[in-house]
Amino acid sequence: MSFQQWSALLKEGFNATSFVATYLCFLHVTNTYLFTHAWVYGPSMLPTFSVTGNLVLAERVSTRLGKVGRGDVVLIRSPQNPRKVVTKRLVGMEGDTITYVVDPKNSDRRETIVVPKGHVWIEGDNIYATSDSRKFGPVPYGLLHGRVFCK
Amino acid sequence: MNFQQWSALMKEGFNVTSFVATYLCFLHVTNTYLFTHAWVYGPSMLPTFSVTGNLVLAERVSTRLGKVGRGDVVLIRSPQNPRKVVTKRLVGMEGDKITYVVDPKNSDRRETIVVPKGHVWIEGDNIYATSDSRKFGPVPYGLLHGRVFCKVSDLKSFMDCIFFSFLFFFL
Repeated sequence: MSFQQWSALLKEGFNATSFVATYLCFLHVTNTYLFTHAWVYGPSMLPTFSVTGNLVLAERVSTRLGKVGRGDVVLIRSPQNPRKVVTKRLVGMEGDTITYVVDPKNSDRRETIVVPKGHVWIEGDNIYATSDSRKFGPVPYGLLHGRVFCK
Repeated sequence: MNFQQWSALMKEGFNVTSFVATYLCFLHVTNTYLFTHAWVYGPSMLPTFSVTGNLVLAERVSTRLGKVGRGDVVLIRSPQNPRKVVTKRLVGMEGDKITYVVDPKNSDRRETIVVPKGHVWIEGDNIYATSDSRKFGPVPYGLLHGRVFCKVSDLKSFMDCIFFSFLFFFL
């Protein structure tokens, strides 16, 4: 190929690449600041979400502005595995006194705890099959990822 | 103004806006995935950083890939105030056994703790004036924000920083 054709091809390739890069950029900013999607599966949020999986939309504005509250279903980065983002219900904000059943399968023993400053208490809807704050304690607010608003 | 001038002005305004938006977009992606800057101040990291403040560059690759280790200075979102990002030294990874002085101003009492899975233990370099893991316990790894690799204190160190970041990312 002559130099003319080479440079025309390179120019076209560069244009296409920069278009794709800009598109991905905007997609990333939307995901970070506006809303994102997630595929939630597993038994911990029955009957709200099914075991095989649901596609949900989560918005990322309320978590940044501090406007999430009790009863919201939230996406949160797991304190045990930092690569995983899990879905649970936010049951307590900082300062709340939470009384929870420690091990519902085996006993009715309850414990009471006050949620420390800067933390939240999360529980799965299906308390018989969930690993949540009853197991790993209150979770720092900074791990909140988004608030689910649509299934 | 007639319609022609109006639409020309609108088109130019739109072009400028989309150029600025694209530039901010790239800046944001660079800040999130490559490196970011931070202004660190306060007594908790003396003598590494001064009280009045230092500009530092932190890279965001190692925290995502899980390649931070003991001895690294990290930016971490505070577990007590989710809007604040603090700078501390990473002293223990998950599974490590940490022996720390609980209250160095008043006693020499030490305690030992094992860092749980998915968490890290952070301490400020100036243990007499820092609020760190000795006070609020091990911190989940997910709160790590970045790893500080460069401190800018004068023009020479600024040039070193630029050079170092090129080396780090393109080699």
